[in-house]
Amino acid sequence: MSRGTGNFVNFGRPPSSRLSRAAAIVGVGHTDWVGDWKRVRSGEKPTDSYGYGAIAFRAALADCGLTRTDIDGVIVGPTTAYERMAEVIGIDPRWGDQSDARLSVVQAVMAIEAGVAETVALVYGNDQRSAKIQYGGPQAMGGGAFLNYVYHSPWGLTSQGALYALTFRAWANARGFEPDDLGYVAVAQRGWAAMNPNAIQRKRITLEDYRNAQYICEPLRLYDYCQINDGGVALIVTTAERAARLAKPAVYVQGFGRRDLNREATCMVPRLIDYYLPAQQDAARQSYEMAGLGPADMDAFGVYDSFSVHVPLALEGYGYCKLGEVGRLFREQGIGPGGKLPTNTSGGHLSETYMQGWAHQIECVRQLRGECGERQVPNCRHVHYTEDVVGNAVSIIYSR
Amino acid sequence: MTSQVDVAQTPPPVMGFYDGPMWASIRERSMRLQYCLDCGQTQYPPGPVCPHCLSSNLEWRAVSGRGKIISWVVYHRTYLDAYPEPYNVIAVKLAEGPIIASNLEGPAPDKNWIGEPVRMVYSTMPDGFVLPRFILDRNSGST
Repeated sequence: MSRGTGNFVNFGRPPSSRLSRAAAIVGVGHTDWVGDWKRVRSGEKPTDSYGYGAIAFRAALADCGLTRTDIDGVIVGPTTAYERMAEVIGIDPRWGDQSDARLSVVQAVMAIEAGVAETVALVYGNDQRSAKIQYGGPQAMGGGAFLNYVYHSPWGLTSQGALYALTFRAWANARGFEPDDLGYVAVAQRGWAAMNPNAIQRKRITLEDYRNAQYICEPLRLYDYCQINDGGVALIVTTAERAARLAKPAVYVQGFGRRDLNREATCMVPRLIDYYLPAQQDAARQSYEMAGLGPADMDAFGVYDSFSVHVPLALEGYGYCKLGEVGRLFREQGIGPGGKLPTNTSGGHLSETYMQGWAHQIECVRQLRGECGERQVPNCRHVHYTEDVVGNAVSIIYSR
Repeated sequence: MTSQVDVAQTPPPVMGFYDGPMWASIRERSMRLQYCLDCGQTQYPPGPVCPHCLSSNLEWRAVSGRGKIISWVVYHRTYLDAYPEPYNVIAVKLAEGPIIASNLEGPAPDKNWIGEPVRMVYSTMPDGFVLPRFILDRNSGST
């Protein structure tokens, strides 16, 4: 049943080299995650998804010194309607779309290189906490579009966490991974978050705290789950030419790649048989070749981490260690502060903010700009961001 | 006697155009899936064509009910009235090929559930909904 990596059409063939460094992220902005977390927890609703998006957009413009009249492209996140979000921020673009974090960056680069837009605003707002969004229910995340999220509900399997718990159990069994070693992820990311003033969860934890925490869906414990909070993120992407004229250092998209596993997805084959590996390897190969770089060149690593489980799968999938050696990488090299492979240096979804991958792009930019203060990775030149949600793997390499 | 409103509702299945015959067969306690007469593969969930060869030449056939656990979890939180914690969810690779999510009833393996042979049984939920579930099949040889 395993498809094997040789079955893909155009395996490893990278996107056109014209796209490498064609565009750069020049502006980043976000809402006050910590302040809004406290307000929402005390029963307030600071604003709605459109409001969070607009606040983040204002901040991103200020960050790069551009004005609204410079924007001729808009991509909004999946939580707001494109037309209304663009209406709220008052833009009549010549090119627009709706997408998720990783693909909106890729689409912006493609649009800019193709000349259909010069400067694209990516705007995401989500009032998921105050609106009490239930993830895993039929209404969430596109519902029936991802049948594997909802098809198994008669048997009580309705949560994202349970799907990742199933994945983790099968993967750990196949690789000989000690389940308690998963705690290294939560501990490392909390260590980073402790140095990030924008992070919601900043109290350091130990492996013992991890092991003592309650199971939510065994084998996953409390600290394996991200929290759900309100907020917004905006990014401004423009041509390499224009980026070079702005005050702050440009962060170029050096390479990217994508591979989706849709076959037998409701049967959970991509998760339980393949552990997303073929998709990650193919996305990795495309992005490395396009960028002219490999895992050894990366100064920091970012992983979409709605659950800690994403991190070990990504480390082997994107080539940071051999299969079966993630536990050793955690123990001997380290992914936290002081470790050899700084991973999710903002604290990620687990500890900073759950912005569905959008805030991870900000952290890539800040590390490459050298704006990360106490948690700054020294001489940061290349940062690798990866996602493997629902077996759809995307790999983006950002460079100075 | 418990009144109708007090009975926890089984979370309703996705009921797309092709799911009806499968759920009807489950109610009849003989789960049937679409078998492709051209390439010999069985598909789950039901669909319009065989995803392996794109044939429409499909026939509903009863499954053997034999399978093997390939992963399992235990919920320690209650999200659904019909499923108070703790309860398990297993992923079973059927002898026919597809993997289905379900629950293990009766005795559980001591330690690692992965690789355990299981056999399908039909459970009637408190609201009358019939679900295909599994019990350990200790008499089965390795599959």
